[in-house]
Amino acid sequence: MSEPKDFTASMDSDSHRTPVRVAFVTRRTSPHVEARDDKNVMTYPEVLLRAAVAVEVLLLGLVVWSLFWDAPLEGLADPMLTPNPAKAPWYFLGLQELLHYFPPVVGGVIIPTLVVMALIVIPYFGINIEAEGFWIKDREKKMRVLGSVAVALVAFLAWFNVYAVLIPTVLIAGIMFLGAFASPKPGRLRRWLDSKPLSFWIMSWFLTAAIILTAIGTFFRGAGWAWVMPWSAE
Amino acid sequence: MTEKIRTAWKFLFGDSARAFGSLSVVLVVMLAVVPAKDHFREWLHYQHEYQSLIRNRSDGVSLARRFQGGVQQIWLPELDVVDRCATCHSGLKEASLAGVAAQPFRPHPPIPHSLTEFGCVMCHRGQGFATTVEDAHSSTKAWEQAILPARYVESSCGQCHERPLEGTPQLNAGRDMLARYGCVHCHKIASPEGRVMTATDDPPSLAHVAEKTTREWIFAWIKNPQAYATTATMPNFQLSDEDARDISAFLINQSTPYIAGAPRKTPAVPKQDDTAAVQQGSSVYGESFCASCHAMQNAAGLMTGGNIGPELTRVGSKVKPEWLADWLRNPKVYDPETAMPHYRFEEKDVGLVMGFLGSKTDSDFLKDVHMDTATAAQIAHGKTLVSERGCASCHEINGVAHADNFAPELTAVGSLPLAKILFAPGMAHTVPDYISAKIRNPRSFGNALKMPKFTLSDSQVDSLVTALLAQTTRAKTLPATLRIQAAPPSTYQPAGRAGQLMTDMRCFSCHEINGRGGSMAPELTWEGSSVQRGWLVSFLKRPNTLRPTLIRRMPKFNMTDEEASVLADYIMTVYQTAAFDGAAKFAGGDSAHGKDLYYGKYACNSCHILDPAKDKGYIGPTLTEVGLRLNPEWIFHWLKNAQALRPGTLEVNWNMNDEDARAITAFLMEQKAAPRKGASR
Amino acid sequence: MKLSEAVVGVRNSRVWRSVFRAGTGDTNLHRSLAVQQNVFMHLASVKVRRRALDFGVTWYLGTLSLGCFLILVVTGILLMLYYHPSVPQGYADMKDLQFVVSAGVFLRNLHRWSAHAMVLLVFAHMFKVFYRGAYRPPREFNWVVGVVLLMLTLFLSYTGYLLPWDQLAFWAITVGSNIMSAVPLMGAKTRFLILGGNTVNANALLRFYVLHCVILPLIAVVFLAVHFWRIRKDGGLHTGEKTHE
Repeated sequence: MSEPKDFTASMDSDSHRTPVRVAFVTRRTSPHVEARDDKNVMTYPEVLLRAAVAVEVLLLGLVVWSLFWDAPLEGLADPMLTPNPAKAPWYFLGLQELLHYFPPVVGGVIIPTLVVMALIVIPYFGINIEAEGFWIKDREKKMRVLGSVAVALVAFLAWFNVYAVLIPTVLIAGIMFLGAFASPKPGRLRRWLDSKPLSFWIMSWFLTAAIILTAIGTFFRGAGWAWVMPWSAE
Repeated sequence: MTEKIRTAWKFLFGDSARAFGSLSVVLVVMLAVVPAKDHFREWLHYQHEYQSLIRNRSDGVSLARRFQGGVQQIWLPELDVVDRCATCHSGLKEASLAGVAAQPFRPHPPIPHSLTEFGCVMCHRGQGFATTVEDAHSSTKAWEQAILPARYVESSCGQCHERPLEGTPQLNAGRDMLARYGCVHCHKIASPEGRVMTATDDPPSLAHVAEKTTREWIFAWIKNPQAYATTATMPNFQLSDEDARDISAFLINQSTPYIAGAPRKTPAVPKQDDTAAVQQGSSVYGESFCASCHAMQNAAGLMTGGNIGPELTRVGSKVKPEWLADWLRNPKVYDPETAMPHYRFEEKDVGLVMGFLGSKTDSDFLKDVHMDTATAAQIAHGKTLVSERGCASCHEINGVAHADNFAPELTAVGSLPLAKILFAPGMAHTVPDYISAKIRNPRSFGNALKMPKFTLSDSQVDSLVTALLAQTTRAKTLPATLRIQAAPPSTYQPAGRAGQLMTDMRCFSCHEINGRGGSMAPELTWEGSSVQRGWLVSFLKRPNTLRPTLIRRMPKFNMTDEEASVLADYIMTVYQTAAFDGAAKFAGGDSAHGKDLYYGKYACNSCHILDPAKDKGYIGPTLTEVGLRLNPEWIFHWLKNAQALRPGTLEVNWNMNDEDARAITAFLMEQKAAPRKGASR
Repeated sequence: MKLSEAVVGVRNSRVWRSVFRAGTGDTNLHRSLAVQQNVFMHLASVKVRRRALDFGVTWYLGTLSLGCFLILVVTGILLMLYYHPSVPQGYADMKDLQFVVSAGVFLRNLHRWSAHAMVLLVFAHMFKVFYRGAYRPPREFNWVVGVVLLMLTLFLSYTGYLLPWDQLAFWAITVGSNIMSAVPLMGAKTRFLILGGNTVNANALLRFYVLHCVILPLIAVVFLAVHFWRIRKDGGLHTGEKTHE
C-alpha cells in the first residue's frame, strides 16, 4: 500500500477489493476512473465448480483421444542402429532445428540460455507501466539503437542462412518500426500496435520464431535433416 | 424446437453445478468404454471360438479339461523368449485336432523339440509379446521382425545347429552352396563362436592362365560361364564386350610360365578322325574313373559324373595340348593345391586321354570370338576392372592383391534392420524378400553394383535364403550349451612315405580320415581294423567296386607294388579302432547256423548280395568275397553294434547276441569267391 | 427425499464435523470457512472477482495445466505399478501394458497425451499471461515462478520420454543429451551427471526414472503451491481491466 507516488495518480480507496491498484493519468487521458460492476464470487463452490468443469472438459478430450489414438512405441532401443533422422521430443525440435544452422555452443547453449534469462527478467525492466506508445519518447535514439540491433541480427541470421528466423525477424521489426513514422489518421489497429512496448515485440518475435522452427523441425525434416514435404511419404 | 434445445441446454449446463454434474455423467460413460474395449479383445474372441469348436467334438471333454483361458505365456528368460502365441493358438499341443484346417486352432506338427522349452518365436519369429493378430505376425513400427514365411522355417534350426541335420535338407543345401558357390570368398560369414565359414570350391589360380588356355576362351567364359559349362559355379558378371575384352587382355598379359626351361614334349596324340583311338582314350578315361569327379554331357544331353572337378563337356575348346599333357602327367606341377590326384599314367595313356578329351569340343562356342592384339590402355583398363570386380577374391592373379572383406559381411544378415536396407522400388519390405531378390537379380538394385548374377534354380535360391536367414543376432545371445557346433576343421596329415603317397594321390579329395577329407567315398579312419591286408593290397593295385550301383568309384592310380605295400602297411597299422582289440583272434562259430540266421532271422540278403545270380540286395556292399576282405573281429563287432564302429551308417543296429554274431561271422568268413576279372564296369 | 435427509444427517454428524469444520450452511461465512479451513484450499482466496472468471481473461489455461498435472500424477502412479526401470525389462513392460494389462494401453495413452497437452498448455499459459500483461508488478515474482514451472514441465516430460526404452526414446534422449555436452567447460561433466555415464544406458534410465517419478514432481508441487499462493497474495488474477480507454 505504499507505492512510490512520483507520478500523477489516484488510488482506488477499496483496498480489500483490489489490494494493489494503481491508476495512471497520462497526458491524453483524464484521471477519471470508470466505475465497474466488479462483483466478487465465492471460491467455494463457484470457482471450484468452474475449475472442475474446465478440467473435466480437458479430461474428456484426452480420454476420447486416448481411446482411439495409441501412443507411439517403436522397437527396442538399439544403440547400434541410429534412426535417420533422430528427433528429440517435439518441444525441443525448434532447438534441434537451430542446431542445424548454428554450432552447438550457439544453438544449443547460448541461445536457449538467453531465452530463459530473457523470460525471467521480462517483468523487471521496461514494463511500460504507463502503456505509453513506444515511439513517443526518444524516437531518434531508439530508432538508431534498435535499427542497428535489427540490422545486426538480420546480418547474423543471414550469415548462418537461418531464413526460418530471418523472415519473422524482418516482419516483426518492420511492423515495429512502422510505429516510428507518424500516421496522419491512425486506425484502431495502428493505434493498438503503436501502444505496444518493446517487450511485446521481442516476445512476439520469440513466439513466431519458435513456432516456425518447431513446425519445420517436426514436419519438414527427413533423413539427414534434409528438407522434406510432410505429404511426400518416404 | 430451438426453444426445446435451449431449455434442455439450460437444464444440463445452466449453471456451474449443473454443468459439472452433466459432464461428470458423460465422463463416466466415456471411461466405461475402456473396460468395454478390453472385453472385445481379439484373443478373447478366438478363445470363445476355440471353445465352440471343441464343444461338439467327441473328444470335447478332454480338450476342454486341458484348455486354459486367459493370456497363455511361455517365458524363457535365458532364451529371451516371451511368447503369448498360445493365447490364440489354443490347440497347439492337441494332436487330435490334426484334421482342423482353420487357424489359429491347428495343432503343431511333431518336431524334435518341446514347445514349452523353446517357445514359438525361436523358430517362427514375429512378436511373441503380442496378443493381436496384426502385431504378432506382421512387421510394425513397434516390432520390425515379422513372422518367418513357412518355406524358410528351417533357417531357425540353423541358429543353434551348425552341423547338418536330417530334417533340414534346405538349410544344409543352402550352407553347402554358400561354401560351394564361393559366396564366402567375398562375404564373411562367421558362426556365433567366431568361426568363419570357408569356401569348398577351388577357384583356379590365374597366375599361369595363358599356358592353359587362349584369350578367346577367357573372353567367352567370362561373358557367360554357363554357356561353356552348364554346371559352372562361376557367376555371370554381366560384362560388356569391351570390359570382357580388356579383362581377357590383362589376364593373358599378367600370366607367367609355370615351368622354366625347354619346350615340353607332347606325347603322340591320336588324330580326331581315328575313332578307334578316341574310343580307346574313352576307355582309359572310364577305367580311371575320371567321371567320379568330372561331369560330361553325353550325346543325349544327360549330365553324368561328379562335381568335384570341372565339367569337361567342351574341354577340347578350352585347354592347350601342351598344358593338358603336363596336367595329366602330374597336376601338381601346374597347381600344387589341386584336388586332382596324381595318376601314374604311361605316356601312351596320356596321349589316349588327350585324344579323347580333344574330341570334346563345341564348334559354336568360340565361333564369333575374334580378338585383336591388346593395347596397353586395354590391359590397364582390364587390371582396373579385375580389381573393381573383385576377381582376386577368388582367383590368384599376378599384380592384384586378394581383397579381404570385399563385400558386406553376412554374419547377422538374417537380423538386418529394415532401416539399413535400400529396397528396390515395388518390392516387399522384408528381409527374406530382400535377400532373395538380391541373389536372383543383383543388378535390380542398381547397375553400378558389383555382385554378379548366379545361375540358380528357385529351390536353390530358397536354400540360400534359408541358410542366410539362420545368421541372426539372436543366435549370438543364445546359451552356448544349446549350440551344436560344427566339427572343427581337421588338419590331420598322415606321416612318412605313406603320407606323401596319400597326398600325391589325393586320398582326402574323396575319403575322410580323422575328420579330414571329402564325403564321396567311405571313411577310412578305422580301415585297418576292418580289412585284411592281402585284400587291401590287391584293391589298391586294381580297385573294383564293392557297391554295384555306384557310378563314382575308386580310380586306378597305377601304383607300383612297393607303393601299394607301403600304403597297406600304414593303413593296417595306424587306422585301428579302439572299439575292440585288433590283435584278438576270432573264436569261431557255427557257420551252418549262421547261414540260417543270414537268410532267415536277420534277412541280410535284402540289402547284401551273396549269390549274384539269386540275390537282389543293392543297398549294402556285395559280400561274395567278404571272407577275403574283412577282418572277422570287425564283422563280429559290426553285427553287434555297427553304429558304434561307424556312426551314421545305414546298417541296422541289430544288437545281436554273441552267439548269433559269431555264427554269422563264421558263415561270412567262408565267402571267398575269387574276385572276378575286370569286375569294374 | 430420504437420500438428501441422510446426506444432511451424515454432514452434521460428529465425525464429519471433526473433519470438515466449516459446517453445512449456504452463507458466505460457511463458504469462506470451507476455503480457509482446508489446508489445500487456503492457498486460494475466499472470494474471486467475477470478471477473473470470464473465459477470455485466462482461457482457463492455468487451471487446465494443473488439471493435466493431476491427471499425470494419477495415471503415472498407476503406471508405476507395472514399470521396472531396467534394460530391457522397461521395454517389455510397455509390451505388457499394450497386450496383457487391462486398460494398459489406455493408461499409457492418457499419460503420454496428457504430458504433451501439459507442455502445450503451459506454453500457452505463459504467452497468454504475457499478452494480458499479467506479469507486471506486483506479479513479477509469480512470473518467475511460472518460468521455473515451465522448465520443470519440460524436464518432467523429457525424463519421461526415455522410460519406454524404445528407439524413439533412446535417440531423442541421445540427441538431447548431446546438446548438453556443447556447454563450454562443464558440458561433458553435466551430461555425465545427468546420464550417470557417458552414453544413454541402464544408469541413465534409472536416473531418469527417479527424476521423473520422485525428484521433479516434488519440486513441481512446491513451486505449484508457491504459484497459487502468490496468485492470492498478489491480488488475485489479473483481469486485464484497463484504467482508461
